[in-house]
Amino acid sequence: MIEVNGLTRRFGRTLAVDDLSFTVSPGRITGFLGPNGAGKTTTMRLLLGLDRPTAGRATVNGVPYRELRRPLTQVGALLDATAVQGGRRADRHLWWLARSNGISRTRIGGLLELVGLGHVGGGRVGGFSLGMKQRLGLAAALLGDPEVLVLDEPTNGLDPEGIRWMRGLLKSLAAEGRAVLVSSHLMSEMAVTADHLIVVAQGRLRADAPISELVRPGMSLEDAFMDVISRSAR
Amino acid sequence: MSAVAAEWIKLRTLRSTWWALGVGVLMSLVLTVLGASTVIARWDPGRTSDQAAMGIVVAVYVGVVLAQLPFGMLGTMSVSGEHASGMIDTTFVATPSRVRVLMAKAAVLSGAAVGGSLLISVPGYLFGRFFAAEFRPSLLPAGAWTVIAGGTLMIVVTTLLGLALGAILRNGAVAATALVAIVLVLPFLVINLPGGEQISRFLPAYPALQLIEQLPDIMPTWAAFTVLAAWGVIPLLIATVAGARSHHGS
Repeated sequence: MIEVNGLTRRFGRTLAVDDLSFTVSPGRITGFLGPNGAGKTTTMRLLLGLDRPTAGRATVNGVPYRELRRPLTQVGALLDATAVQGGRRADRHLWWLARSNGISRTRIGGLLELVGLGHVGGGRVGGFSLGMKQRLGLAAALLGDPEVLVLDEPTNGLDPEGIRWMRGLLKSLAAEGRAVLVSSHLMSEMAVTADHLIVVAQGRLRADAPISELVRPGMSLEDAFMDVISRSAR
Repeated sequence: MSAVAAEWIKLRTLRSTWWALGVGVLMSLVLTVLGASTVIARWDPGRTSDQAAMGIVVAVYVGVVLAQLPFGMLGTMSVSGEHASGMIDTTFVATPSRVRVLMAKAAVLSGAAVGGSLLISVPGYLFGRFFAAEFRPSLLPAGAWTVIAGGTLMIVVTTLLGLALGAILRNGAVAATALVAIVLVLPFLVINLPGGEQISRFLPAYPALQLIEQLPDIMPTWAAFTVLAAWGVIPLLIATVAGARSHHGS
């Protein structure tokens, strides 16, 4: 469970995140939707202790991220899938990560199979396509079998088959009772993936509701999204 | 301990590590062999076995400290490489304590530096004994330990200085330039200044070269060890403070 309370992050004069409060509950996929530059990535970085908030706080299972012990066993994160060192083999990338949190190395083979990289685990990451790096990033996020997942645009670079596969995997992870937070700027993707939506624009919360409430019959999520964004801009 | 184990895996699963270590060790080994054989060939036949052993150790550690730049670069790359790729975020997601990550890197790199220096000094020493067999060198005379400790400390300090500069400056090229400036250029410039010897005491090069008997003693041995060690510790402390303060969190 993720709780964000009055979270604010100011960069110079701009408010990247402006008094944001929301909760990500277990057992469902929470879509984190907003246009480019809305503050989604900044919020996720604050949540993961990669940046410090100007005000407010974010906790995972009631604890600020930086105070978690063996954090990978509680939170799995995928931010920028391309942020890996190309010279290292995929399985060894997962190995150091597992070792840092006392996670058994025996999980690596199965996870590489799960994300469809079973045949290239011994290959260097530098030779991977963006889609393969996303799959590796997802394996890294699942390494510690965490109850909470924080994924920033995980379908980036995936082909249609890959997007479909990712959607199915996220749904089964939520069905297992995990709290899944997925950001996206693609409304169509969120419409078929998320159970609950948090919409942000210009760092502020615009909507926080079940998807069924946001999308009325005869209205696409795209329409609903534009409606929410434009209404709040006024 | 998990962070140390993870950093050790990270270090040895990158090819660039083995390139830096391989180049450093091989280059130094070749120079050690060449240097030692040249020096030994010029020895006075009346040299005692203790003097011979001491001469071998000194010649070997001149070779060892030649490897300091590749090792320092390794220290720099171990953190600047993560900043360049962005993987530093994954490191901090896995180990949120910035201090713990830096100390784990320092521990692993120190180990690599000591190991690397032994890969140069042990074969170099054995070669020296073989080449100087006619002098019947003793094993390790008392004075040799200062040379061994001083030479080893210099390698470790340069490696840790590289790490600290990489952590503070983040950009690999900038950090490598700063490292070369502090380790090589600055001491050379300063010694040629009037009164430069006074300043030289506080730079890493003079104390190290004094300890390995390449320069005349201008300070007590303990002072040379202290100044040299400070160049390993203080920049790391600065990097720790800079890392904790950074709003970027890294």
